[in-house]
Amino acid sequence: MSAIDFSDPATIAFLTDALTTAGVHGLEISRPDGQLRIVVAGKDGARLSSTGAPPRAPSSATAVVKAPMAGRFYVEHPGSATPQKLPRSVSDADVVGFVGVGHVLLPLRASRSGVLIRLLAEPGALVGFGDPLFEIELQP
Amino acid sequence: MPEMPEQSATAGRRFDTVLIANRGEIAARIERACRELGLKTVAICSEADRDAPYGSTADSFLCIGPSSAARSYLNQDAILLAARLTGAGAIHPGYGFLSENAAFADAVEKAGLIFIGPSASSIATMGDKISAKRAMMAAGVPCVPGPDTSLPDDPTSVERIALEIGYPVIIKAAGGGGGRGMRVVPKSDQLHEAIALTREEARKAFGSPSLYMEKFLQHPRHIEMQVVCDDHGNAVWLGHRDCSMQRRHQKVVEEAPAPGIAADIIQPVGEACVQACLQIGYRGVGTFEFLYEDGAFYFIEMNTRLQVEHPVTEMTSGLDIVQAQIEAAQGHVLNLTQGDVTCKGHSFECRINAEDPDTFLPSAGVITHLVLPQGPGIRVDTHIHTGYTVSPYYDSLIAKLIVHAPTRAEAMARMCDALAGTEIEGIATNIPFLRSLFEDHAFARGETDIHYLEHWLKLRRAA
Repeated sequence: MSAIDFSDPATIAFLTDALTTAGVHGLEISRPDGQLRIVVAGKDGARLSSTGAPPRAPSSATAVVKAPMAGRFYVEHPGSATPQKLPRSVSDADVVGFVGVGHVLLPLRASRSGVLIRLLAEPGALVGFGDPLFEIELQP
Repeated sequence: MPEMPEQSATAGRRFDTVLIANRGEIAARIERACRELGLKTVAICSEADRDAPYGSTADSFLCIGPSSAARSYLNQDAILLAARLTGAGAIHPGYGFLSENAAFADAVEKAGLIFIGPSASSIATMGDKISAKRAMMAAGVPCVPGPDTSLPDDPTSVERIALEIGYPVIIKAAGGGGGRGMRVVPKSDQLHEAIALTREEARKAFGSPSLYMEKFLQHPRHIEMQVVCDDHGNAVWLGHRDCSMQRRHQKVVEEAPAPGIAADIIQPVGEACVQACLQIGYRGVGTFEFLYEDGAFYFIEMNTRLQVEHPVTEMTSGLDIVQAQIEAAQGHVLNLTQGDVTCKGHSFECRINAEDPDTFLPSAGVITHLVLPQGPGIRVDTHIHTGYTVSPYYDSLIAKLIVHAPTRAEAMARMCDALAGTEIEGIATNIPFLRSLFEDHAFARGETDIHYLEHWLKLRRAA
């Protein structure tokens, strides 16, 4: 247990992703050296509070946008005139792509602010739930 | 926007791609049957099963949801979307999960796809134990003594019914099954309390307070009949199985044929099952489950799906039951008459579960070493391999060990050898328990009823 550093932003990001994926609203971990509490709150994204050791600055933390359901992966809306380029800056509310089933497109939000650096799936490919689609380099 | 190759409808009952809406060994088994029939396959998975080996051998493999079964293998919308995305024309539900869900069968057909199984109305009729019993009585299938109607609310009428049947009686939820929602009443003074408790349980667990009452049999065996039917008025029964070796209503060992039952007793029951199928317009494969006591059969329920233990009947009949099921769904005429059905030799199946052999607690983890038995008359249906992670999310069944030999004694000896030749390390399995069970003398003599294993375990714990 002691090998896991709960003040590490990468660990927190991983746990937040896991909670969101599993549809769990919160997590609280108490240890002698501190306490971590993550609350996944609907549209505002995750809130977290941590006491104990001060959080360290991330070296170059990245976040991955995953497919929320099975479908076809699109990086841009079919009506969009200008192709989206990489890398580019994104904020958490930005729509960075779509997962489509038939004519229904589900927008994918960045959920984090940072630089969209990489595509992790081929545009037009069939993707499954949880498949990694984009990598975002987080900005402190 | 790229072109969308999805297709949703099939012409008639033809299809060339089957989506397998299940996981584990049965997903691998169905995939094999499809491949042998020249059909393409779509395997689906939850996050926990992303590394499933049948995913890499399927023509398409798609993760449809998180690890929890409710959000993946039980998520009807996600499965229908996956079928649309991959162009599947049919859905095979396997066993468990959505296999006996009439609403799902209906949704599949309404989406223009083929449900590989019976019609939604057949599933619904057989899913309600009272309507199933009524249908079976009408077809001349012997049933457990007791009315084919739900219990009235009036206490005096209920007492009269119990007296007519004779104590002990059993109260069951009409929507129950698999050993849940039932209560034995040994004497009349416990009747009303038992009804009140079971009714409340039934309301909570099955959404309906409807109950029925039957004679409680003291030492029955569990015998079942496998049937296969087409859409053209043809039906045959493929023989019988004994699944009496149960722990907490879960089958542990199954065999075919059921030992020690004379053909003239069992034959009319098999024929009545066929008649029942024809009367209700049943399609595909199904199993009639009976209790058997003192030379008489009593219908308990029909499973409107492929069963875990289907391989023992495949071994004795020589028929591929999964292929027959798929062909029936395609609208083919059953290429088999009752006269063609034979029963050769004897077959056993052991369910290999990832669980502690003493406490039966599930055991999850990575399989670090695996040796599966080989040789004539040995078959292993499984999806596991060295390095495979047994997840804690689902049923603990990881493999089925099946043997076939000319006689029951030889088949038992072969199973002992096969169990001895099975090595699984990294997780706990029930193999040590199965090995001791196959050395039991009463089991060897075929003298066991559905309570035998529980007693055997109690004695073993006490020793």
